[in-house]
Amino acid sequence: MTWQLFIFMLINGLCQGMLLFIIASGLSLVFGVLRVINFAHGSLYMIGAFLAYSLSTLLSGESLLGFLILLLVIPPAIAIIGFVLEVTLFRRVYREEHLLQLLLTYALVLILDDSVRVIWGGDPRSVTRPDLLAGSVDVMGMALPSYNVFILVIGPLIAFGMWFLLYRTRTGNVIRAAVSFPDTLGALGVNVSWVMTSTFMLGCWLAGLGGVLTAALSNIDLGIGMEKIIECFAVVVIGGLGSVGGALLGSLIIGTGLTFFQLPFGRWALVFPYALMALVLVIRPWGLFGKPER
Amino acid sequence: MEHGKWRVLLALTLIMFSGFFLASSSASAADVIKLGFIADVSGIGAPFYKSQKAGLDMFIEEINAAGGILGKKLELVVRDAQLKPDVGANMARELILSEKCEFLIGPTSSAVALAVSKVSKEFKKVIFFHTSNAEALTTTNFQPYMFQVVPNTGIEGRGMALVLSKKPYKKYSLIGPDYAYGHDQLDSFTKEMAKRRPDVKILDTVWVKLGESNFSTFIPTLLAKKPEAIYAAFWGGQLSAFIKQAKPYGVFKQAPVSSLYDLDMLRATGLDMPEGLTGYARAPFYAIDTPQMKAFVKKYHEKFKEWPADWAIMAYDGMTALTQAIKEAKSAESEQVVKVLGGLKFNSLRGERYIRPVDHMANVGIYAGVTAKSPEHKHFLIMKDVKEVPAEEVWLSVEEVKKLQAEQK
Amino acid sequence: MDHMTSSSRTQWISGITLIVILFVLPVFLNEFGRTGEYWIWVSTEMIIMALFAMSLNLILGFGGMVSFGHAAFFGVGAYTVALLTKKADLPLFLALAAAPFTAAITAAIVGWFCVRLLGLYFAILTLAFGQLLYMIVFQWYTFTGGDDGILGIPRPEILGPTNFYWFCLVLFLICFFVMKMIVSSSFGLSIKTIRENMERAKFIGINVRRYQLLNFIIAGAFAGLAGGMLAELNRFAQPDFLHWSKSAEPILASLVGGMYSLAGPAIGSTVLIFLKIFLQQIHPSMVELWAIVLGAAILVVVLFAPSGLVGLYQNIYKKFQS
Repeated sequence: MTWQLFIFMLINGLCQGMLLFIIASGLSLVFGVLRVINFAHGSLYMIGAFLAYSLSTLLSGESLLGFLILLLVIPPAIAIIGFVLEVTLFRRVYREEHLLQLLLTYALVLILDDSVRVIWGGDPRSVTRPDLLAGSVDVMGMALPSYNVFILVIGPLIAFGMWFLLYRTRTGNVIRAAVSFPDTLGALGVNVSWVMTSTFMLGCWLAGLGGVLTAALSNIDLGIGMEKIIECFAVVVIGGLGSVGGALLGSLIIGTGLTFFQLPFGRWALVFPYALMALVLVIRPWGLFGKPER
Repeated sequence: MEHGKWRVLLALTLIMFSGFFLASSSASAADVIKLGFIADVSGIGAPFYKSQKAGLDMFIEEINAAGGILGKKLELVVRDAQLKPDVGANMARELILSEKCEFLIGPTSSAVALAVSKVSKEFKKVIFFHTSNAEALTTTNFQPYMFQVVPNTGIEGRGMALVLSKKPYKKYSLIGPDYAYGHDQLDSFTKEMAKRRPDVKILDTVWVKLGESNFSTFIPTLLAKKPEAIYAAFWGGQLSAFIKQAKPYGVFKQAPVSSLYDLDMLRATGLDMPEGLTGYARAPFYAIDTPQMKAFVKKYHEKFKEWPADWAIMAYDGMTALTQAIKEAKSAESEQVVKVLGGLKFNSLRGERYIRPVDHMANVGIYAGVTAKSPEHKHFLIMKDVKEVPAEEVWLSVEEVKKLQAEQK
Repeated sequence: MDHMTSSSRTQWISGITLIVILFVLPVFLNEFGRTGEYWIWVSTEMIIMALFAMSLNLILGFGGMVSFGHAAFFGVGAYTVALLTKKADLPLFLALAAAPFTAAITAAIVGWFCVRLLGLYFAILTLAFGQLLYMIVFQWYTFTGGDDGILGIPRPEILGPTNFYWFCLVLFLICFFVMKMIVSSSFGLSIKTIRENMERAKFIGINVRRYQLLNFIIAGAFAGLAGGMLAELNRFAQPDFLHWSKSAEPILASLVGGMYSLAGPAIGSTVLIFLKIFLQQIHPSMVELWAIVLGAAILVVVLFAPSGLVGLYQNIYKKFQS
């Protein structure tokens, strides 16, 4: 492998990782505060992607403005769906055992995924990339889609935004406190259920954003939710449940790993995320950045 | 043992008995011939399904309007196999046993087809394949109740090797879906190419999961070894996703891509489709010049307000062959019909064809051409300079088929 | 059965009645021609999936450990039968006998890592290993047939639909009584003690990890047998048998049926399969809504009746009596 190809592959892999990060960080954040592994995160991501498709047909895409509207409208819409789910369902099982929580979110997967089938049908769909992002950029003499560059810009912005929110704002302090000391928070006069609801909405917002970005990257169909949730799972477990920084590291490892291992190992590259996930769990169950369970 | 559990079980058993009676009370009429269509309704097969269904519906409507066949009307029962072999096999069983279908119509995915073919063999019901086309169906997995009216992966792979061997390219990279269809086709392509052009090198084969639509990690790998040409064994939604994503990676500047450019795929890709790519179709309506085809296309367009894709044409042809066999056998039972199927001559939309007795394969070839814009079709490309590569030039010889069938597992 | 009260006598009677009905069922169904044959086939599948659900419940209900990777052992059993009969030309009965062993060996390896973790982390690690095995089976095209699976598993002539049904029923009953013995043995009691109070279990000298591992292996072996039986029924094995969504099926069955009893998961699994096929028989397009119906049902159970159908029955029964 020449060094030019290496750099190209690295950038391409980072782009994949960034997209994964946007979705997985939502899952991790929600777990950190709510202590619930939300299987339905993948379904919300899928709904985001399909909503983006529907809205783009109305907006007659290809213009940058239309695409920006998608990015601005869809994620909040998913966050609102999240709000409804949190208030009506999730809230009732926080004190239940893990199994019931998992089953609740799994039931949501069944309901939401099938609803997508009923509403949108089984056809694969996609959102046309805006003209500005449809071309390619020269990297080391090879063409890299400008859309990948766009994701590579958005990803760190989101990462920075989340860091700022968590470490530089009062809301962030409360959220982090909720992760570390869930019991004492109520005593300090913080409205814990409000913290939970808004964190859940933020997680869903990220899922929706990931959905919009995916819809213009590749085709979307009914299987993407189930597939993505398990990838996100690997990311979150590797990075450490509840840690956003860990999710970033995990995503980048998996994104670049998948790209690089493809060349020497072919189809076996796809085993890599799960092998790594199992390895991390065996050696350091709380993940690279996580903390051991209290 | 906790309290009352047996009684719960007993009560449930009784409920189920009554449910069974309810469910089985819908008996079928004796004067219809039921055709069970195991389809891949959703996912990357969705556009194909719509075309297949349209072709079948049109045929059945015509036959029934003319009084049916042997005085019986045709009825289509559809089930979704979701591209999953286990679901397909279960659906086939359900269609035969519960819906009392006497004939089966195959799906889009070859993996599903292989599973369904086993069920057809087990229950001795004729199944015809008009879209799924793994060559293994006719060789190592051959069973006498199946027949195929679509060029199989061997005919496709070897046919394209024949076409491309006349081009100057010496270094190929291959990419394809990681299941029966992809493996069968790329194997045939590689072997035939090695025979015709020993100087050609296959640099790499990239396998992608069937249904995967994000090619971001695969395309750089495909290009890494700097191929002069690419042969892709994708189809349908997966192929059009591949073409769309390959463009900004500069694939077409580096190497032309050859693949299955059927009408549905061309329509789905629209103007993102590059010009000048050598590819093939299974039954392109615009390039087949028979009177039957002209009449069919006209009627189809009037009925559905769009042009018939390859899948509609081949589904229609399959029905032509099946109904003709039913007429010749003077029976609507699979056991009788199968006796006349081997060697049957039928008048397809693609012209006069016959079914080879040894492997129940119709002599249908592929139509190779080059993608180009066309003044008649504003929103998508078609192929020009289309020539049929006759099946007889590239299909396995009778001896080869017999040898493979003897290896049957 | 500690003492023969009148209610336990009626239990025996209804139990034996049920077994007799199950044995006579195919004779009756055969009167209905092809439709009957279809329902024999469906009933056989119900028996097999009931065994799968019960096997999971050994760890879920009795052990109190949530495993999201149980399908891996089911799949290993299925592939054992498929590979041994197709590639090694072994007779079916030997292959079926081998299935629980290969599954148990796999479960021993996976379990050895998993039982070191507790609660949620145990669930995630089983999921990780399950998906890892799934990916290996999926990618190993030359050995497992990858996405295509292994087709055309041979079936001995004498095992027609009816005989195979009886064969599966006998296997199921044997497994049922073996599991019943395990659950009421001192081993079973220790497992329940661990579930109720791990600290106490440690205190009274139970080697928690070893007991949990042993339980995990036993459950894996039963799952492997069920997988082998399903592979033989369908006459193919495919990677989806190992997928995590397959692992969810017995969990849902246990939830619906009630996970604190031996037969609960079997009931749940049977009810779910029946509902799905019944829905399809009413109208084929209804099956599109199956997942929504199932999801809604689970939501209701999770929120309002976490002890499942059996628990619900017991509650009603108690109210009725008082």
